[in-house]
Amino acid sequence: MTNALELHDITKTYGEGDNMITALASATLAVASDEMIALIGPSGSGKTTLLSIAGGLLSPSSGQVIVGGKDISHASPSELTEVRRSTVGFVFQSVNLVPFLTARENLLLVDELRGSRGKQSRDRADRLLDELGLAKRLNNLPSQLSGGERQRVAIGRALMNEPALVLFDEPTSALDTHLGEQVMELIQSEVKGRGTAAIIITHDRRMTHWCDRTVTILDGHLQTDELATAG
Amino acid sequence: MFLAIREIKRAKVRFTLLVLAIGLLVFLVLFQIGLRDGLIGQFIGALRHQSAPVLVFDAQARKNIEGSRISPDAQAALAQVDGVGRIGPLGESTFTVSNPVSRAKSVEKDRLIDAVLFGYEITGPAAGLGAPTTLTKGRLPTGPNEGVASDRNRSEGFDIGDVVRIEPGGVEITVVGLARDINYSVSPTVFVSWDTFQAARKVRNPDATVVFPSVMVVEPVAGVSDARLVTNLSTVSGVVPLTRADAVAQSPGVASVSQSLNTVIGLLVITALMVIGLFILILTVQKSSSLTLMRAIGAHRRTLALSLLAQASMVVFAGVIAGAIMMALISPALNTLGVSFSFSQLGVVGVGAMIVGWIGSLAAVLRVLRIEPINATLPPGMQR
Amino acid sequence: MKLAWTELRRRPGKFGVAVLTLTVLAALLLFIAGLLDGLFLGSTGAIRSQRADVFVFSDSSRESFLRSTITPETRAVIAGVDGVQAVGGMSVTLLGAVVPGETDLADVAVIGYELQPNGIPLPPKPGQAYADERLKGFGVGLGDSLLVGPAKTPITVIGFVKDSNFQLQGGLWVQPATSRQVQNQNRPDSPVADGDFQVMLVQSKPGQDAGQLADRIDAATEATSSLTKAEAENSLPGTKEQRSTFNAILATTYLVVVVIVALFFALLTLERTPLYGMLKAIGASSRQLFAGVVLQAIIIATVAFAIGGGLVAVFSAVAPPKLPLQVQPSRMVTSYLILAVCSMIGSLLSLRRVSRIDPAQAIG
Repeated sequence: MTNALELHDITKTYGEGDNMITALASATLAVASDEMIALIGPSGSGKTTLLSIAGGLLSPSSGQVIVGGKDISHASPSELTEVRRSTVGFVFQSVNLVPFLTARENLLLVDELRGSRGKQSRDRADRLLDELGLAKRLNNLPSQLSGGERQRVAIGRALMNEPALVLFDEPTSALDTHLGEQVMELIQSEVKGRGTAAIIITHDRRMTHWCDRTVTILDGHLQTDELATAG
Repeated sequence: MFLAIREIKRAKVRFTLLVLAIGLLVFLVLFQIGLRDGLIGQFIGALRHQSAPVLVFDAQARKNIEGSRISPDAQAALAQVDGVGRIGPLGESTFTVSNPVSRAKSVEKDRLIDAVLFGYEITGPAAGLGAPTTLTKGRLPTGPNEGVASDRNRSEGFDIGDVVRIEPGGVEITVVGLARDINYSVSPTVFVSWDTFQAARKVRNPDATVVFPSVMVVEPVAGVSDARLVTNLSTVSGVVPLTRADAVAQSPGVASVSQSLNTVIGLLVITALMVIGLFILILTVQKSSSLTLMRAIGAHRRTLALSLLAQASMVVFAGVIAGAIMMALISPALNTLGVSFSFSQLGVVGVGAMIVGWIGSLAAVLRVLRIEPINATLPPGMQR
Repeated sequence: MKLAWTELRRRPGKFGVAVLTLTVLAALLLFIAGLLDGLFLGSTGAIRSQRADVFVFSDSSRESFLRSTITPETRAVIAGVDGVQAVGGMSVTLLGAVVPGETDLADVAVIGYELQPNGIPLPPKPGQAYADERLKGFGVGLGDSLLVGPAKTPITVIGFVKDSNFQLQGGLWVQPATSRQVQNQNRPDSPVADGDFQVMLVQSKPGQDAGQLADRIDAATEATSSLTKAEAENSLPGTKEQRSTFNAILATTYLVVVVIVALFFALLTLERTPLYGMLKAIGASSRQLFAGVVLQAIIIATVAFAIGGGLVAVFSAVAPPKLPLQVQPSRMVTSYLILAVCSMIGSLLSLRRVSRIDPAQAIG
C-alpha cells in the first residue's frame, strides 16, 4: 500500500542572501495511508510550512513531495489546485467556513469546485453531516452554529472529496478542553473509519494521545518520532 | 492629517479610482453647466445684448421671436400706452446667405450658409432701439446695407469688410462692426437697419407686400420702471410684453434646454454624493479594526473624525482638479459647440463638490465616532 | 459561479452601494439618451413617416422646409425625370393654436401633404386634420376645433396619428389647400401661391438608387437641392451637433460606470482576500473565483438597470408633454448591453488582485 504522504529531504527557504530564512531543513516524513500523526512545535518552528507543502499550498525549495502516490515537487500552480481539489482535505485554524452558505452548502461547495454536483454529492454531504451529529443543522448558516458545530462542519468539508490525506491546523485551539476532546474523538473516528491519513498540528500535548504517533518540529528540523502512548 | 495622507499613500489604486470617479463627475457637471450657459448664450445672446429694455411679442408666438409678428393694429395700440417713451420695430429672420467678399481664405464665394438677421431702426424717433450693446470692433450701421456681426463667426465670412449676400441673389450687406455674444439660434447673426431687413425679407418672398416686425422694442418715459411699462403694455390684447431678462429666461428653447440640463446636473450631483459617501463609508468599515486599535492606544474620537474629513476633502479636491484638467483639455474642441468654461464656474463647482463630499462623509464620521476602544481587546462576536 | 450567485442572494445589502450608484447612473444614461432620441424623433416624425425616397428642396433654401419653395413648373420637371414613380408636395407651417377649454396655446406644425405617409390616412377634407397624439398632452380631443395662428384659422381634429411631429411641434396633417390657407392667413408676409409647395417628395421606381436619383433630379431642374430620406432626417438644424454633444456626455457617463464598478470590486476583493485564500486552498482556481466576480458585476448592472430604467420609464410617463423625452425599446436594449459591458470591464480591474491571492495564507 502506498503512503498517503512522503516528504524526502524537504527544504524551504524564504528570502535571499543575509535575509534568507530557513523554514524547513531537510525534513523527511512518511505518513501511511491510514495513519494519524500529531505535529507539535512552538510558534515559528515550521509547522505551518510543513503542512502547506504537504497540502500542495506551497512548493518546496528542494526535495521531493509525494501526495497520494503522486510526485508534486515540481507541480505547476494549476496542478497543485487539482491536487488540493481531489487528494487533500483541509481543516483550518480559524474554521473559515463560507459565511453566506449553509452547513450543507459548505460541503457541496467542494464538489462544485470540481464541477460535479447532483444527488450523489447531496447524499454524501447529508451522510457526512449526519455522522458528525449535524443532521438537524443542515440548513443553518455558520453564524447560527456554535464553535464546536462549525468545527464539525469544517471537518465534514475536509472529508467531502474523499481525500487521501486530511490536514488539520490546530483544530481545537478555539475550543475548551471538553469540546476539544469531543472534536478529537470525532476526528479519530472519521479518519480511522475511512482509512484516511491525517496530520494534526496542535499546541496541546493533551490531544496527542488520539494520534498514532507524534512528530515534533523545532527551528525547521523534524526532531523525533515517537509512538503515541494511547491508541 | 498625517494618518490621512499615510493611508492614501498605502492604498494608491483605491484612492486613484475614487479620485477618478469624482473627477469624471466634476467634469460632467462642468461640461453640462458650460453647455447650458454656452448654448443659452448662443440661442438667445441677440436678445440679451440688444438695447431695448422691454420687448412685446405676439401672444400666439409663445414668447418665441421666430413665430412672432406684430400687426399694424397692435403697433398702433402699443404706441398709445401710458408710459411708452420710444417704440420701434425689431425684425428677426433666418436667411440663406453667401459671401461674395470675405477675408477668410477658407470661405468660398458660392458657399451657402444660414444666418440670422435682426433689423432695428437706425433713424427716426426710435433710432438705436434694439441695437447691439456689446460692440467690440468697428461701428454700428449708419445706413442701408451695413451690419454688425457676431464676433464668434468672424472667421466664417463675418469679419469687418466682408460682404454677406441674401440668397437668391439679393441684398448685399457689408460688415462694419463686430459685437460679442449676439448670436441667435446658434447661427451667425447680423444686426442691420430695419429698411435693410425689410429688403432682405422681400428677396425671399417677392410676393410679400408688407413686412411685419417680429417684436416691438420699447423704452419707458423717464420715471417709469420697466416692470411698470410691462404692466401697462399688457392691457393691449393679443400681445405679451416682457422685460429683456424675462424674454431671455422664458424663451421656449432656453427654458427646455436649461430644464433638461438642470435635471441631468441634479442626477450627477446625487451620483457624486453617493460615490463619495458610500465609498468612504466602505473604506471606514474596512479599516474599523485598526481605527478601534487607534482608539485603544489613545487616539481621540475627534482626531480620527477630523482625519477622515481631511481625507474626504483631499480626495474631492484632487477630483475637482482632475475634472478641471479634463475640461481644460477638451474645451478648445468645445468652443464651436458653444460650451463655455470659466474659473467662476470651476469655483462654484469646486465649492459645491467639497460640500457634497462633507455631507457624503457624514455617515462614515458617525461610524468612527461610535467606535468603542474596548473592542480592541475582545474577540469578534463579543464586541459592543 | 453558483457561489457568487448565492452570495448575491444571501447578502444583497453588501452590494447595495454598487447597485444604488449604478441605478442613478443608469437612470442618468437613459434620461440623456431619452432626451437625445426625443429631440431627434420629435423633430423628424413628419419626415420619417413619409413613404418617399428623395426630398427635393429649392436650391437656395439650404434644405430648410420653411425657406424652400417648389413651383408647379419645377414639379413637372421632377415628375419627368427617369426613375421617378410618383411625386407629391409637402409644406409645413409652425404656429401656436388655441385648444378649446385650455388656457395654454399648443405648439402645432400644420403639414399639407399629397402622398399617403406611413400610419397616416390620405389627406382629409378642407378644414380638417389628423393630429399627432402629442397634442393630447395639450388637451386636444377628437372633434376639437383648434384656432391656429394669429388669424385663428379653424381646423377640426378628425383623428389621431403617431410619431408625426415636426421640430417638436405637434403635427396637424391637412390637405394642401388648407395648408396654404393657414400659411397665407397667418403669415401674410410669406404667402404661397396656388400649386406651390415647400418640398417635393419623390417615390422612385423599384431598383433605383436614391442618391443617384437625387443627383439626376437636381441636374434636370437646375434649381433644386435633393436629399435622400436619411439625409433629410439629419438635415434639420443642429441635429448633428446635438448628437455629438449628447454622445460625448453618454460616453463619459459610461466611463464613470467603469470606474465605479472597478472601485467597488477593488474594495470588495480586499475584504474577501481571506475568503478567497481559503477557497483556493480547498481547490478553487483563480478562474472560477474570477468568473464569480464578473457574474456579480453583470448582475449588479442588470438589477441597477432594471430599477433605473423603471424610474425613467415612470418619469417619462408622467413628464409634461413638452419635455422631449422618449425612451425607445431599442435604446433600452443597447444601453443595458453597454452598461453590462462597462460593469464587466470595471470588474476586470480586480483580476490581478484575485489571481495574486496566495492559497497558503489560509493557513497560519
